[in-house]
Amino acid sequence: MDELLFIQQDVLPALMKGLKVSMMLIIPSGLCGLALGVFVGALRVYGNPWIIRLANAYVAFFRGFPLVVQLFIWYFGLPHIGIYLTPFLASVLGFTLCSAAYHSEYVRGAFLSIKKGQRLAAQALGFTKLEMVRTIILPQAFRRALPGCGNELIYLIKYSSLAYMITCIELTGEGKVIASETFKYMEIFLIVGLIYLVLTSFAGFFLRRLENSLRLPGFDHYAL
Amino acid sequence: MKAMTQKKPVLKVEKLTKRYSSKEVVKQASLTVNQGEIKVLIGPSGGGKSTLLQCINFLVVPDEGRIWLEGKEILHSQKKELYDYRQKVGMIFQDFNLFDHLTALRNVEIALLKVRKMSKKDARERAVAELERVGLKEHIQKYPAQLSGGQKQRVSIARALAMDPKVMLLDEPTSALDPELITEVLAVIRALGADGMTMVMATHQIGFASDLADEILFMEDGAIVEAGPPARMLSQAECARTREFCSKLTGLYGDSR
Repeated sequence: MDELLFIQQDVLPALMKGLKVSMMLIIPSGLCGLALGVFVGALRVYGNPWIIRLANAYVAFFRGFPLVVQLFIWYFGLPHIGIYLTPFLASVLGFTLCSAAYHSEYVRGAFLSIKKGQRLAAQALGFTKLEMVRTIILPQAFRRALPGCGNELIYLIKYSSLAYMITCIELTGEGKVIASETFKYMEIFLIVGLIYLVLTSFAGFFLRRLENSLRLPGFDHYAL
Repeated sequence: MKAMTQKKPVLKVEKLTKRYSSKEVVKQASLTVNQGEIKVLIGPSGGGKSTLLQCINFLVVPDEGRIWLEGKEILHSQKKELYDYRQKVGMIFQDFNLFDHLTALRNVEIALLKVRKMSKKDARERAVAELERVGLKEHIQKYPAQLSGGQKQRVSIARALAMDPKVMLLDEPTSALDPELITEVLAVIRALGADGMTMVMATHQIGFASDLADEILFMEDGAIVEAGPPARMLSQAECARTREFCSKLTGLYGDSR
C-alpha cells in the first residue's frame, strides 16, 4: 500500500515532468532529423562529386562518433570556442545531426532503388534536376524509405534518454534522481522502461498508419 | 498527301557518335527529318537504335556530333537551352516509364504544371483532352499498376503530346506489349502520323513501318548502313545484310499492322 502511494505521489509526477521534457526533445529532433536526412540523402545521390564527398564525410563522422561523445562536444566542448548552448539545445542539436545521418542512409537506399526509367522520363519532358528529384523521385523514394526511417525515429525515442548525461533532465534523468534518493531502482526503472515502451508502441502504430495512407497501387507488392 | 507537306527540316542530326570506353555504339549517324515526315529505324537489337534516339535528346550525351531543331543548333551544356529543347522533343520509351506514384491524369499533367508552369485549370483541361485523344477517358484516375501495357503506352503518348512536341522519338513503342495490345498503340501512332506529327521511330513492326514511313533507315553496329523509301528497302535493298534482316522481319511481323 505504501509502495503504491509512494509511486502515485512522488514517482509519477516527477516522471511525467520528465516525460514532457522527453517529448520536447523527441518531436523537434525527429522532425528536423528526418528533414535534414532526406536532404542529405538526396545530396548523396544527386549532388556533384564534391558535395557527395562532403555529405559522406558528415555521415561518417556522425555515425562513427558515439552519440554521448557528440553530446559532450556540443555541450562541454563548444564553450571553448565561445559558443554556449543550453542542455536542451545541445541535446536537440546532437539528436538531429545524428539521426539525420542515419536517415540519409535509408533515403539514399530508397533513391537508388527507383528505376532509371523514371528519371529518363522526367528528363525527356524537360524537368530540371531539382524539380525531377522533388516531384518524381522523392515521393516514390520516401515511401520506400519510410519503414527504415520509422525505425530510426523509434530509436531516437530511446536515445533521447542520453540527454540527461548533459544535465537535460528528461524522463530517464528524473527516474535516476528519484531512484538514487530512494534506492527503489527496480520499481522506478521498470516504470521508466514501460513509459518508453508505450511511446515506441504509439510511434510504431502511427508510422504504420502513415505507411498505409501513403500506399499506392503498384507499391503494395509486400501486401499479399 | 505526304508530297504536299512542305519540306522544312524539323530535326537535323549530323555525325553523332557515342562511345562507351573504346566501343562505338553510335557511329557518325546523320539524319534529317522534315516537317510531317516519319522515319523508321530498323536493325538488330544492340545495333544502336535506342542509343541514337536517346542521344538525340541528350538523355545519353553524345561524344561527337551536332543537332539542330528547326534550324537552331542545340548546345546541351546550356542547361536552360537543353531543358527547353527536351520539352519540344517528345520521347516514348519501350517500357513506358510512367511515373508510378501518379494517376494517368497526374502523369500527363505534372510536366505541364512543373515544367511549362501552366495554371492548374489549364493543365487539367489539357491533360484530360490528351487522354481522351488516346482513348483513355475512363481510365484517367487509375495508377500505372492498374493499367494494361497498351493503356500505359497510350498514357505515355498523351504525356508527350501534351507538351506540344515538334518531333516525337519513339523507341520500340510496342516491343514490350503482347500481340493483342500492339494494335491499340499502333492505331494511336497511325493517327498521329495522319495528323502530321513528325516522328522518328525504332521498331520491329515492319508491316506498320512500311505503311507509314517516308523513309526506313537500317542500322547495324552503330551505323546507319542504308536508308530509303519502304518499298525499295523491303524488297530490293542494296546492302545484302539489309535484305536479309528485312525478309526475316517480314516473316515475323509482316502481318501485324
